[in-house]
Amino acid sequence: MPMSATQQRSQGQQFNRGRGAGDAVMDGKSKLAADAPVAIAVEHVTQRFDGRRPGQQVLALDDVSLEIRAGEFLCLLGPSGCGKSTLLNIIGGLNRQTSGTVRIGDTVVRGPTPSQVAFVFQESTLFPWYTVLENFKVSSDFQRSQASTWNDRAMSALRSVGMENFANHYPNQLSIGMKQRINLARGIFLDTPIILMDEPFAALDEQTRMVLGEDLSVLLARTGKTIVFVTHSLAEAVFLADRIVVMTARPGRIKATLTVEEPHPRSPDFMLAPRFSEIRNELFAILRDEIRQTVAAMREARDEGVVDG
Amino acid sequence: MAVSDFAVAAAPRRFSLLGNLAIQRLLLLLGLLVLWEIYARIAGDTGMIAGPSGILRAMGPKIFANPKVVAAIELTLFELAVAYGLSVVFGVVIGVAIGMTDFGRRCFNPIVVLLYSVPQVVLLPLIVLVFGIGPLSKIAFGFSHGIFPVIVSTITGMRTVNPTFLHGARAMGASRFQTIRHVIFPNMVPAVFAGFRLAMTLTLLGVLLAELYVSISGIGYFTQVFAETFDPSPLFALMTVLTVMAVALNELVRLVEARFTRWKN
Ligand SMILES: Nc1ncnc2c1ncn2[C@@H]1O[C@H](COP(=O)(O)OP(=O)(O)OP(=O)(O)O)[C@@H](O)[C@H]1O
Ligand SMILES: [Mg+2]
Repeated sequence: MPMSATQQRSQGQQFNRGRGAGDAVMDGKSKLAADAPVAIAVEHVTQRFDGRRPGQQVLALDDVSLEIRAGEFLCLLGPSGCGKSTLLNIIGGLNRQTSGTVRIGDTVVRGPTPSQVAFVFQESTLFPWYTVLENFKVSSDFQRSQASTWNDRAMSALRSVGMENFANHYPNQLSIGMKQRINLARGIFLDTPIILMDEPFAALDEQTRMVLGEDLSVLLARTGKTIVFVTHSLAEAVFLADRIVVMTARPGRIKATLTVEEPHPRSPDFMLAPRFSEIRNELFAILRDEIRQTVAAMREARDEGVVDG
Repeated sequence: MAVSDFAVAAAPRRFSLLGNLAIQRLLLLLGLLVLWEIYARIAGDTGMIAGPSGILRAMGPKIFANPKVVAAIELTLFELAVAYGLSVVFGVVIGVAIGMTDFGRRCFNPIVVLLYSVPQVVLLPLIVLVFGIGPLSKIAFGFSHGIFPVIVSTITGMRTVNPTFLHGARAMGASRFQTIRHVIFPNMVPAVFAGFRLAMTLTLLGVLLAELYVSISGIGYFTQVFAETFDPSPLFALMTVLTVMAVALNELVRLVEARFTRWKN
């Protein structure tokens, strides 16, 4: 496989700041997809929201079905307001869908399942009144985790994102990028088989995003977690995902699914490969119409608003 | 103004004595004291006003050497401490009880705001009637002044929690109790302390008003005695003691606040 050389290099770069020993790298992770068990099953999920006025209902998700396999990295892509966050919240049990079922393993989701699912949001949810380490401790208490090794696990998660020297800082003493690194580390620290990430890097600059994306690829290859990752960045999606699901403009449906055959961890060289730009361009072609439609709908809503007022 | 700003900015700060804010303030204060002294000496009526030097001279013999006055200061401090403690405890408890639910906020918040805006002095005669002319009426009046800012700020603090934190806590599986303990309570600390500071000032006001209205002891009583006997220097000295007390107590609350809001920087 041509990738093995880059794979090795990337490991060499990354692992000297990671915890290193004991974590096996999963080879050819994308090959897994077909025969791994289903980790998350979304079956005919529909979500309606009541609008501000009666009769002004919003159909956010329309009959979405999706299977995500254990160890898979799935990216959700779609125009703004198409229901990506809504879908993620439904999978995590934070929203109750109007109809349809979500299963995690064999269990039907009826509320938050913190032992199975960790979230990483766009905005840091670190509490500003606790230090980084205290935040980790509180999360583990929230999760009702019995493990007494939380401190070691917290430190090793922080080390894996290069933030171990900031364990006793308050979040306000850190930059947005640092906070988001720690947010990511906490998602890993929570030690759940599934992580749901809602635009975790959206608030960051392009360069930081790329570095964090690389780190993430390495980290996840090591832990074999199942990830659902929402992003607006095509490059990020191609670089990280095993599979990319493109959604339509609201009401959100699944428009297309693309597979990226490339083992994790991925090196930055992958971004230079011709295949990378091919997939990226394909994605853009699929998305363009949907985004046009969203913008048109927004204009329409605005014009209606003018008439109303 | 602009020119002096520029000068301050241009000169390296630590080398310029006049550029130091503390020194500027001190100079301003000294200037005012000097003007006051001059006015008291050349134009003031000795039965109405005393200068800083006269106040300083009265401080020893007429205030601290008089066991009755010292006892009065102690009594006022005691009344203040009790009234403030009650305000803080009951204010937070009532504020949390009201702020906890939407129902509580909708029903009781308007009542609290209404009571808060009543000029309480009109109730003073009633309070004295109920609680007598002893310390009890002063504590009650101090309490009725102090509790409202605490209630109002506690309710505000509970309401203004960032939804992101609640969302995050829920996603991590926090129970209702854990959410209150780790999100809602720490979040409301700054707002609550703003209420505590205001309550300190208002409690002192309430206690002193009650003492001035009717009493046989306490600082309020002596200020009245000194004023009615046209003896301004101990009166002013007593006021100075009061001011120092008020400032010191406010600083104390601020210190405790700083201890609890270290994370804010
Ligand atoms: N709690 C809610 N009440 C009413 N409408 C909602 C609610 N949450 C989301 N919506 C609506 O549902 C639609 C989908 O929202 P969602 O946040 O899932 O979009 P998104 O794809 O995550 O968008 P973005 O990319 O901008 O984050 C939007 O039109 C939004 O206005
Ligand atoms: Mg979203």
